[in-house]
Amino acid sequence: MAESQSASHADKSLEVLAHWNGRMREKLRHLVTDELIAEHARDPLGQHSDALERVLNYLRRAPQPGKYAVLCTDPYREYRIVVLAGARGQSARFLDERRFSTEKEALHAVFLERLKELRRG
Amino acid sequence: MADTKESIIPAKRIDGYTDRISVAPGERIRFMVSCQGVARYRADIVRLIHGDLNPAGPGFKEAEIASTVSGEYPGRNQPVRPGSHIEIDDARAMLNLSGAFSLHAFIMPTTPQAGRQGIVTRWRRDRAAGYALVLDESGRLALWLGDASGKSEKVAVEGGFIPWTWYSVGASYDPQTGIAIVARQAVVNSANSLIGRVAAPGQSAVAQKPLGRLEVSADAPFVIAGYAAGGPGARTVVEAHFNGKIEAPRVYSRALDASEFEALARGVEPDPRGLAARWDFAAEIGANGVPTDVISDRSGNGLNGRCVNMPARAMTGHGWTAREENYVHAPAQYGAIHFHDDDLEDAGWDADFEWAVPAGTKSDVYAVRLRGEGVERRVPFFIRPPRGTASARVAFLAPTASYMAYANFRISVEADVGQAILGQTPVLNPDDLYLAEHPEYGLSLYDLHSDMSGVCYSSRLRPILNMAPSFLGANGLWGLPADLDLVDWLNARGYQYDVVTDEDLHREGLALLRPYKVIVTGTHPEYWSGAMLDAMEEYLATGGRLMYLGGNGFYWVTTYHPEKPHLIEVRRGESGSRAWQARPGEYYHSTTGERGGLWRNRGRAPQKLVGVGFSAQGFDESSYYRRMSDSFDERVRFIFEGVGRDELVGNFGLVGGGAAGSEIDRYDLTLGTPPGAMLLAASEGHSDNYPHVVEEIMFMYPGVGGTQDPAVRADMVYFTTPGGGAVFSTGSISWCGSLSHNNYENNVSRITANVLERFMSDQPMK
Repeated sequence: MAESQSASHADKSLEVLAHWNGRMREKLRHLVTDELIAEHARDPLGQHSDALERVLNYLRRAPQPGKYAVLCTDPYREYRIVVLAGARGQSARFLDERRFSTEKEALHAVFLERLKELRRG
Repeated sequence: MADTKESIIPAKRIDGYTDRISVAPGERIRFMVSCQGVARYRADIVRLIHGDLNPAGPGFKEAEIASTVSGEYPGRNQPVRPGSHIEIDDARAMLNLSGAFSLHAFIMPTTPQAGRQGIVTRWRRDRAAGYALVLDESGRLALWLGDASGKSEKVAVEGGFIPWTWYSVGASYDPQTGIAIVARQAVVNSANSLIGRVAAPGQSAVAQKPLGRLEVSADAPFVIAGYAAGGPGARTVVEAHFNGKIEAPRVYSRALDASEFEALARGVEPDPRGLAARWDFAAEIGANGVPTDVISDRSGNGLNGRCVNMPARAMTGHGWTAREENYVHAPAQYGAIHFHDDDLEDAGWDADFEWAVPAGTKSDVYAVRLRGEGVERRVPFFIRPPRGTASARVAFLAPTASYMAYANFRISVEADVGQAILGQTPVLNPDDLYLAEHPEYGLSLYDLHSDMSGVCYSSRLRPILNMAPSFLGANGLWGLPADLDLVDWLNARGYQYDVVTDEDLHREGLALLRPYKVIVTGTHPEYWSGAMLDAMEEYLATGGRLMYLGGNGFYWVTTYHPEKPHLIEVRRGESGSRAWQARPGEYYHSTTGERGGLWRNRGRAPQKLVGVGFSAQGFDESSYYRRMSDSFDERVRFIFEGVGRDELVGNFGLVGGGAAGSEIDRYDLTLGTPPGAMLLAASEGHSDNYPHVVEEIMFMYPGVGGTQDPAVRADMVYFTTPGGGAVFSTGSISWCGSLSHNNYENNVSRITANVLERFMSDQPMK
């Protein structure tokens, strides 16, 4: 291994991870039902059904760049969705103009956004 | 329609910090303030009572204190300059070499592709003058030369570095011949680097180039691990900080040839002629570690230096063989210093004002309140009673070491697993996102440096945005804001109390605790020095009484720098809920020489001191306690006075909706809970977002979450100690978040009051 190539030494495990993500997302898409979404809307926190826990466990562990978070813009009064930069020194941005009056509404809105992306592929 | 251009971070800011965190009446405290877009601000001293803005709780409470601080001040911006390096004291300009010279060091670059990084330099960037051995913009080893006329040359060895791998690097220049040599050679053994010998990290590479004649003398500071932006000044501004380790740098006033560089790589000393400086970073290692900024020159020329911004010492060098893990026993293998471009020991701001705390000022939690142009900031500090005295029967021990460990915590914004740990999408506040944008305010002991190595030092001489009364972090009310729930309750119930801090306890030991009938902890007193534990154990073993009203306490081995009270160190070992893990051979603290990690792995499990120890954590919801049979024992009737036999305890509260939650602790005889301890109540019904702690997982199997593992619970424990003392532990961070429920009339408040009042009495516990 010559040093001159070191910068181009790609991490081959990314290919495996891509396969894994494809399989996982396909499986999870089948778990998403109206009932599952309604369960999350009732309470985004705490213990859920096994199906919802599986979906949430996957979504929560996604890489930070582009990941959604909730920003409390007025304590206990107003919440918005932000998109994290995922890199130190870079700015997060608002996803849209929506404002939520409770934390739970905002958390559920994030969940719905993530499901939209899950359905896309 | 997305409005993604809209700025999240307000343009105007006021930030500040204090020179001390605990101050006694009669002493002075200084306040450092920096403003952005705020021309004038008003400052007042306030006593903090309650911070959480939750409308279901008591709301924000503070009391303004008449003080000499009150007034208007001009706002000014004060920069923060992170990045660690070494500055060499070369008053006689011995290293201002105009003739032949050579530079050599062993280095382990950790971000070789991150842009220009100084290794061994006497260079000023503004004039491109002097000499410098650097990693260049392409990640190559390069020698830069520049003379006073503005003429400069650069020579680089082709090829890059493998990150986290040791190399011997050197360069020489001889103006007589005009030849410059730059040499690089990997020096990999079986243990010292990321990769091993089978990966064939490469043979030596040498660049040799005729440059003509340059006289490189320049008015520039000598810097290791960076280079100067300009000439020497009151405070050298260093940039191009090096990420990674440097070991045994040296300078010769003659030009070494390629074979001499090869000999140096093999550890063979070349002809000592012309040796101008040879720094040995292990020279200061002693029985009590290496708690110093001093750098020694072993050449005989006295070109000593000092570290700036606390790079990590006691780190494995290129000769580390993995036989010895304690650097005190093998200093020669620990001659490396790990530098980071985001290390920060001291923001270095000038003070805006100070306060001589008047005699008679009540011991309590305080802040300076800074207000201007619609921006507000509170910078907390603690007033203790006059030294050597106590003014109440009760002392709240403010867990300032824990506040420092979590200072500017970034996990919920930066870590991929952050949301999984929380069991929810994080709910951030604008200061979280400000920190994400602004690494210069420094990192917490949970974060990673830009090279992905763990942060092992934290200083309080910088703005700490999450140590503020109303800061609501992604993991809920945490640290100081959560502890104000307790302070508010003490006020609401009319109890007299003093406030002392971890820093006071570390310095003064048992003498600080002795005058008190009761010590009350905060909600999460996680970080303890050995001296603090010794004092608490002695206090309890000789009649003292403790109310441990928190969770995951007494957990991490923490050391205070012996000469820098503002600085703590934590080396995260091989187990525990640890955010990162120290690299092999680097478990021993530089500041004391002690082994880092969990106290339980050094024979001091929390159960031995307070009856309970860390068992699970989760941040989605909290739960309640159910009374156990011990709670009906006559000896503890006083604790449950006014609480029904079948009442659930704490099935309400502002932190996750219950008194048992966030981080929770368990009674365990096998971990040293005193055999006679009474298990009064235990929590139940936690979710799978509360996994059983990793240090207790000996084999991997499914079902270690709260719905399936019986160890996932908070235990309420009581026991008496020799000399009429006693310990009452709730083992839950969220306990204090339930105190104010129903206007302080509830069973959490009642139990806490019952214990406090009994513990305050002169009558021995039995």
